[in-house]
Amino acid sequence: MNKSILLIFTFSILLSNDQIPGKEQKRPILLKGGILHTVSTEVLEGYDILFSKGKIVRIEKNIMASPETDVYDVFGKHIVPSYIAPLTRIGLVEIGLVRQTHDFAESGSINPNVKANVSYNPDSELIPITRSNGVLIANSVPAGGRVSGQSSVMMLDGWTWEHATLKHPSGLHINWPAMSIKYGKNIKKSEKKQREEIQKSIRELDDMVRDVRAYFQIIKQRDRLSKDRQKVDLRLESMIPFIVEKKGIYIHAAEARQIISAVDWAKENDLKIIIVGGADSWRLTDFLVKNNIPVILDKVEKIPARRFEPIHLPYKIPYLLQKGGVQFCLSTRIGYPHDGNIRNLPNEAMRAAAYGLEKSEALRSITLSAAEILDIDDMVGSLDIGKDATFFISDIPPMEMNPKILMAFIQGREVDLNNHQKMLYKKYQEKYRRLGQINQ
Amino acid sequence: MLRNTVIILLPLFLFAQTEPTKDLHKNRPKVWTLTNAMIHTSPGDFIKDGSIVIRNGKIEAVGRYIKSPKDAYEINLQGAHVYAGFIETWLETESYNSKSKNERRHWDSKVRPEYRSVDNFDIKEKHIKELRSLGFTTAHLAPKQGIFRGQTGIVNLSKSPKTINSSVAQVIDFKYQPKGKRTYPRSLLGVIAHIRQTFYDSEWYLKSQEIVQSYPAENRPLASNFSLESLGLTRALEKPFAFISSDDNSASRLMNISKEFKLNPWILGSGYEYRELNQFNQLKPFFIMPIDFPSKPSVTKYMSDLQYSTAELKHWDVAPDNLSYLNRAGHDFSITSHRLSKKSEFRKNLEKIIARGLSKDIVLAALTTQPAEALGLEKSMGRVAKGYDANLVIVDGDYFKPTSKVVSLWIEGEEIYIASKKTPSFLGNWSLKYNGSAYELKIEDILKNRTNDPRNIVYKGSILFQGKTVELYNIDIFESSISFTIDGQNIGQKGSITFNGELTKSQIIGTTKNLGNESLPFQADIKISTVGKELEPESPSSLSVFSPDGAYGLFKDYPQPNAILINDATLWTCGPKGTLAEWDILFVGGKIEQVAPDITVPQGSAIVIEGAGKHVTPGLIDCHSHSAASSINEGTQYITSEVRMKDVLDPTDINIYRQLGGGLTTANVLHGSANPIGGQNAVIKLRWGADANSLLFKGAPEGIKFALGENVKQSNWSGTNRYPQTRMGVEQVIRDAFRAALDYKHENDNYYRNSKYQRTKVPPRKDLELDALLEILEGKRLVHCHSYRQDEILMLTRVAEDFGFKIATFQHVLEGYKVADRIAEHGAGASTFSDWWQYKYEVIDAIPYNGSMMAKSNVIVSFNSDDSELARRLNTEAAKAIQYGNLDPNEALKLVTINPAKQLKIDKFVGSLEPKKDADFVIWDGEPLSVYSKVEETWIDGIRYYSKTENKILEDRDEQLRKDIIQKVLSIKGGTGTNTSKSINSKMYHQGHNCDILDNTGVYNE
Repeated sequence: MNKSILLIFTFSILLSNDQIPGKEQKRPILLKGGILHTVSTEVLEGYDILFSKGKIVRIEKNIMASPETDVYDVFGKHIVPSYIAPLTRIGLVEIGLVRQTHDFAESGSINPNVKANVSYNPDSELIPITRSNGVLIANSVPAGGRVSGQSSVMMLDGWTWEHATLKHPSGLHINWPAMSIKYGKNIKKSEKKQREEIQKSIRELDDMVRDVRAYFQIIKQRDRLSKDRQKVDLRLESMIPFIVEKKGIYIHAAEARQIISAVDWAKENDLKIIIVGGADSWRLTDFLVKNNIPVILDKVEKIPARRFEPIHLPYKIPYLLQKGGVQFCLSTRIGYPHDGNIRNLPNEAMRAAAYGLEKSEALRSITLSAAEILDIDDMVGSLDIGKDATFFISDIPPMEMNPKILMAFIQGREVDLNNHQKMLYKKYQEKYRRLGQINQ
Repeated sequence: MLRNTVIILLPLFLFAQTEPTKDLHKNRPKVWTLTNAMIHTSPGDFIKDGSIVIRNGKIEAVGRYIKSPKDAYEINLQGAHVYAGFIETWLETESYNSKSKNERRHWDSKVRPEYRSVDNFDIKEKHIKELRSLGFTTAHLAPKQGIFRGQTGIVNLSKSPKTINSSVAQVIDFKYQPKGKRTYPRSLLGVIAHIRQTFYDSEWYLKSQEIVQSYPAENRPLASNFSLESLGLTRALEKPFAFISSDDNSASRLMNISKEFKLNPWILGSGYEYRELNQFNQLKPFFIMPIDFPSKPSVTKYMSDLQYSTAELKHWDVAPDNLSYLNRAGHDFSITSHRLSKKSEFRKNLEKIIARGLSKDIVLAALTTQPAEALGLEKSMGRVAKGYDANLVIVDGDYFKPTSKVVSLWIEGEEIYIASKKTPSFLGNWSLKYNGSAYELKIEDILKNRTNDPRNIVYKGSILFQGKTVELYNIDIFESSISFTIDGQNIGQKGSITFNGELTKSQIIGTTKNLGNESLPFQADIKISTVGKELEPESPSSLSVFSPDGAYGLFKDYPQPNAILINDATLWTCGPKGTLAEWDILFVGGKIEQVAPDITVPQGSAIVIEGAGKHVTPGLIDCHSHSAASSINEGTQYITSEVRMKDVLDPTDINIYRQLGGGLTTANVLHGSANPIGGQNAVIKLRWGADANSLLFKGAPEGIKFALGENVKQSNWSGTNRYPQTRMGVEQVIRDAFRAALDYKHENDNYYRNSKYQRTKVPPRKDLELDALLEILEGKRLVHCHSYRQDEILMLTRVAEDFGFKIATFQHVLEGYKVADRIAEHGAGASTFSDWWQYKYEVIDAIPYNGSMMAKSNVIVSFNSDDSELARRLNTEAAKAIQYGNLDPNEALKLVTINPAKQLKIDKFVGSLEPKKDADFVIWDGEPLSVYSKVEETWIDGIRYYSKTENKILEDRDEQLRKDIIQKVLSIKGGTGTNTSKSINSKMYHQGHNCDILDNTGVYNE
């Protein structure tokens, strides 16, 4: 049963109103003759890809389909693994300035116990708008305070947050204390006082690690030592996976001294960290490689952090990291007014590709590298047998401008690529058509 | 006690000459002869071994062979230097009660030109003593608070300070309300407009007063206002206006005001004058120069140098040369100790300035003759000469060596004791002879204090004996006596031994006491130190000053080729010719001369650029920018049409250069969106390195920012109840403003049509706010309106049509696609974002197809940045109209070239590659809409302001420069004072985004 991809595309639009989550994959699907951007290996031209029950089953030339398989001819079209946005607030904020829609920052400074996915709104308008550009996976991250909470990797389709969760927790988020000393006439605090405050903030984090280990020490013994039963502390308890089991801790740090301090802290406390932000990471490539620290780079299209830095430096940082051997991936920026711009993740990668990074590396920096850093590369990030069928079909190669995303699948479920904006576009085209102004 | 002194001083101050005597008469003698002194009669002139005769507070005679009058008592000043009393040219009085309301004053308590600082002389005795110890005998007293702070005066610094002149100059400060306060003006924009309006008001007031007095029957009495009167009088008397300058940008602002109102400007210097010397050529202001130099940058810790910008590092090195720069440029200046938190730095810094090459005479003049002349005291002060006031500084050596001490001052013939004569110093190495043995005695200052002021020394000493160092303890030094103790065991004796001695010249002689209480004599002779001074010799900074200073600044003028020819390039003309492959384009005299398939010019007559493989586009235009501005919003009032972006342009903004690197050549710098009717915009060309006035796009029509919706309703922050709070109110506010403008016009027309009225009636007051509104109604001022929702867009077109004008552009206009037909019918342009959405409720229906939809409905559409980063990649923003809405690439490029030019009504100058237009163009290494293409060169008016190769040169230069300065910092010994420098901290992520971001005052910038 051969279908034209174009037919499917039109079909989805007609069907949609408020976008309906895709159906579970009941029948195997075979895409024939596409150009496969596997990311893990080279580009495979004219290959078939077969996926079933949400997983990629075969990637070969000329796969013979069984009768129950749906077959699509995608000759000349490009199949690309989902772009992965490693740093977003998707589902946690709807409108930047409307506080009622904010669910990303709990009050207080230490909130390791809060979990992003439980307040992920699966009907957020950001979801269909983001995925129409090929970003099908996003890490949704709490913010604020010293310890912001636990992030969750979400699939951008699903009826409920449980349905949409790909991985939870994907990590614990800590905002590293600012390390720069302020000088100047208007600064009231002495240099010494400022240094003391910085040290105090770091010591608090040290104490936190110790408390978690002590807490764990007691509760794992509690059957035998019931007389000293540890009373509950949700905050400490929630950090056991990160501090005792050494799951990833995301340290948000931009400036050089912050990064150095954070890495030293992780070494001392034997923890696994990932640097998020990393504006100065390019200054520290050897240090980061030596300590095996990955970086989630906050935006490429931005102005230099400092007046005297080379004007195109931010565009070149991905290349400098890659050249320096640092494991990194790219992100869009979180926070007002940027939260809606997750869909521009490929633009960030293209900008990096314009400034030194190979296009294939640029693609990797928003697919497989992101999956590796988020520790979800067993499921997504590349077109490999055994991984989720989470990818999209595009009319032109990735890392080229102005693509049309023709079809997308998340774990084999075909995703509705329509969205609120496209619907408004159609609605008002009708207005001008009736006015006889256009034939657009 | 101190308090009492001050209180007692006040009446003396005011009534000294007429006050009744309270107890026995005090009449100190008033005739003196000072002899044997080195008299510095005026800068450059001195009399060795001279004498000065003082009689009744005046100098009666000065000279070498003067006979002391018989009635004069002689004081021998052997070895002393005598200078004319120094004049402290800026001394701020502390208090002013701004709360006392008086309807005869200006409505704004910060405008108080009537206030005289001498009426509130409230300087603490301690501070006066400090000033005297530096040699100041007279002070120019300045008020401390406000915008029009009030009048300066002159007082002497005697024990009962006396007013010499109660009104010298007006002081103006560009000072606005701190954040939090919601009273006008709360921004630099507002302050400047406020200053201008106040000047106009005072002109109006004086004129009106005259008319009312002449024609009392024709006019109602004028409400008396002594603030305006006082300001008017100051101008009428041509007294100076002293402006407080705070940064590199102050100069152009205060000079603009001085020119507009024909003021005689004085400047309280910022320390950055060396960067803006060309601003001062026309009016030649008098400078009052503080010498608070930035402290040594703290760069020793790993990566800590990153927090200093290159400009800050340079400033550390160049700041002490600032006066030399002023001097070389031929400016008059005085030196003040103002802004030095530690007055002890004053003479050290003078020494530094002199060591760096400014002559002592110039420095002395800046303390004496220069201020005397500026203050109108040149006949009585500033020199040691016959007939001058007996104001003298007696120093035990050369004043300009910080080790010399000011011994006393004479103020109007009365001597004030300051410090004892030089006490010999114990510091150094001595050869100690005691009990038949010789030792080496070493006394040092732990703090390494350079002044050698004994009060500031913490002594430490040791004795070297047979290669062993023995510490001294209980060191006690007072004036010329010394005592200390050593542990005798260390020199082979028992118990502790105490030394007590007196210093005479270079020898300490005294006795010791030991355990057995027996006394032995000792003697110590100074060893002439062979070690040189620890300090590096000061020399002027070798750094050249860039424009603007710091990274990427220029140090030479741009070459201005007469003609440029580009061969065989792809020309994206953005005009009727469309895109032309392998065509030539010729620029002559800053204009486009010719666009043709093949152009030849005589060899050598033009710069020829081989364009094969390259693409040339017009310079990109950003129709909504907040770059290059020091101030964005005056958000206190809902109508602020009087404020002007051109008053606050910041040519030092590095984003100008960065945006040139993205092909941008023109930007519409807009006021923020806090008010329904905001401030006047400024269209600029990105002439990096030029001054503020030269950034302006000559010939661009004036315009103004309007705003609708959430921001002007102040919906997105709490605690405000400013009118309007609804879109209904917004409409009314705008209508009301235009009706008021029409009333104003009517009033003016009535008055100026009738010559009798003009003679006999009070004229209508000039109102800068209404003037701007009238210009809108007369079609002379373009309206650029921040808007989102279709209802408000439609509303404003109707309001405008009711008043008979057109909206030039709707800005943002994210729901423009819903009413594109109406926008087109009205004739407005639409300047929108490519794909922004989600950030606030009123953009709920924002779609990235907006631009292409409006464009297809015959609206002139541009894409803008509203963001310093986006502004350097407008080409790829334009390309998004291809992705969303499938616009033709040529049409897409027009979104950032000819379309914004049309919207700003500058399309006859820029926006397309057509003959006669300005030579503003960009050379790209590939298709201009591709993310993979880069700008190779950006030209404005036929001058190349950016090129890839030049950029690399600047990058390398700046990298080396930073290294050199940091090396210099590290090579200098001595601690880093931390809290003395100004704004030394360079913020990371200097805010690039302006769109809709709450600035620190809680107001939108968008």
